[in-house]
Amino acid sequence: MARSTFNIPNMFCPACVMHLEGLEDELDGILSIKASYQKQRMDVEFDEKRISEQSIRAAVAGLGYQIS
Amino acid sequence: MDNIILVAFITGLTAGGLSCFAVQGGLLTGSIAQQVESTSQSSGKTASSSKKKKNNGRRIQPANPKRPAGMIQPILLFTTAKLVAYTILGFFLGLLGSLFSFSSSLKGAIQLAIGIFLVGNALRMLNVHPIFRYFSFEPPSQLTRYIRRVSKRAESWATPLFLGALTLLIPCGVTQSMMAVAVGTGNPLTGAVIMFAFILGTSPTFIGVSWLVTSLGGMFQKYFYRFVALTVLVLGLYAINGGLVLVDSPVSSAKILRAFNSDPPVSVTATTVAPSPAAPASSVSAELAPGSPLTASDTPPSDVNRVVAPPPPTAAVIAQINVENSGYLPDNLALPANLPIELHLITNHTRSCSRAFVIPELGVQELLPATGEKVIQIPAQKAGKTIDFMCSMGMYTGVFQFK
Repeated sequence: MARSTFNIPNMFCPACVMHLEGLEDELDGILSIKASYQKQRMDVEFDEKRISEQSIRAAVAGLGYQIS
Repeated sequence: MDNIILVAFITGLTAGGLSCFAVQGGLLTGSIAQQVESTSQSSGKTASSSKKKKNNGRRIQPANPKRPAGMIQPILLFTTAKLVAYTILGFFLGLLGSLFSFSSSLKGAIQLAIGIFLVGNALRMLNVHPIFRYFSFEPPSQLTRYIRRVSKRAESWATPLFLGALTLLIPCGVTQSMMAVAVGTGNPLTGAVIMFAFILGTSPTFIGVSWLVTSLGGMFQKYFYRFVALTVLVLGLYAINGGLVLVDSPVSSAKILRAFNSDPPVSVTATTVAPSPAAPASSVSAELAPGSPLTASDTPPSDVNRVVAPPPPTAAVIAQINVENSGYLPDNLALPANLPIELHLITNHTRSCSRAFVIPELGVQELLPATGEKVIQIPAQKAGKTIDFMCSMGMYTGVFQFK
């Protein structure tokens, strides 16, 4: 299991939290996502054997968010 | 009160709709997509996963446009459940507010806090500074996860009904602001009516906004969101002003305007009257100075600042205020010092919050009848003293000056 923290600087309202956390159900290998609008951050626990950090970044970018 | 309900409805109709949709729209469209899919027995991707729209980090999920007939039932169930749930919530918020309405000063403090919350939320929406992000509450992840998963179940009509009620747990920023206003009313029924009016207002926008967002795109969202923020900002400043009035702050819009008001005060002298609660207004003989003299019979009681000359020690002084929908007339009364005042408040089909008459300094809080007369005894005051009066929300104000 791996953990990564991503900065999402263009989360503009609490609804973004729900959208980003929704990736839990859409990406195979994600164990949990905790996003925070206040901190503009997303903490992800994932199984690195099933999904790469790059894939997570791509999925976040696919929702229209910047990621760093 | 009617004004607030109208403001709540218009806020819902304009600002609330998109804001609510941004937070809760996914639930509705996800549920509709599942329903349409299960009804049509189609396979493949659901509407919610195939129709996602990306926009400045916002993902709006339009409903399946191919099956409008199938969408009507879940939309109606969802919005009806939401309407009922928030009306009940408004009742309890008003009830909560009533528990704290011990004095007008405390009410003013609550209103100030609400105003600061609203302004903070508006500045958050305008992205003025990261600190304002803390003016918005985030529901726990476990809760949003549960709601998200329920929304994806293809079940019966009960799903949109349940999801509509669950929106209680994920209120958008504007809804949170309106909930704060409901608390501020301090009245369960008013709280319920305000939330009902607000959610009723959001409903057509909530339903129609997916079409607008898909048709007009990001430009629409960008400007609409700013409009939402500015509306909340105005509501917040309004609440702060009301709060300042209620806590008897030296700074409020009414006091500032009064300070800059260069109109010469209308001085009225009157003879004494007998100390009877039922004394008719005509028992006061009044004379305007400067200006044309008026007799009591042709002096409208509502349009003058009244100075009642010192009567004999046994007499009381009668002052009269007409309580109108738009405020108090007169709203600046000069009264004689060192004499008790009998204040007659006259209402005539008055519906606004001006009926909730408050004199914080004297601990007076009276809900006046829609039409009728209420007499309030004001104890003798020293010369030079000023006492403010107002409606319970600080919207309409006036002042007694003792001379």
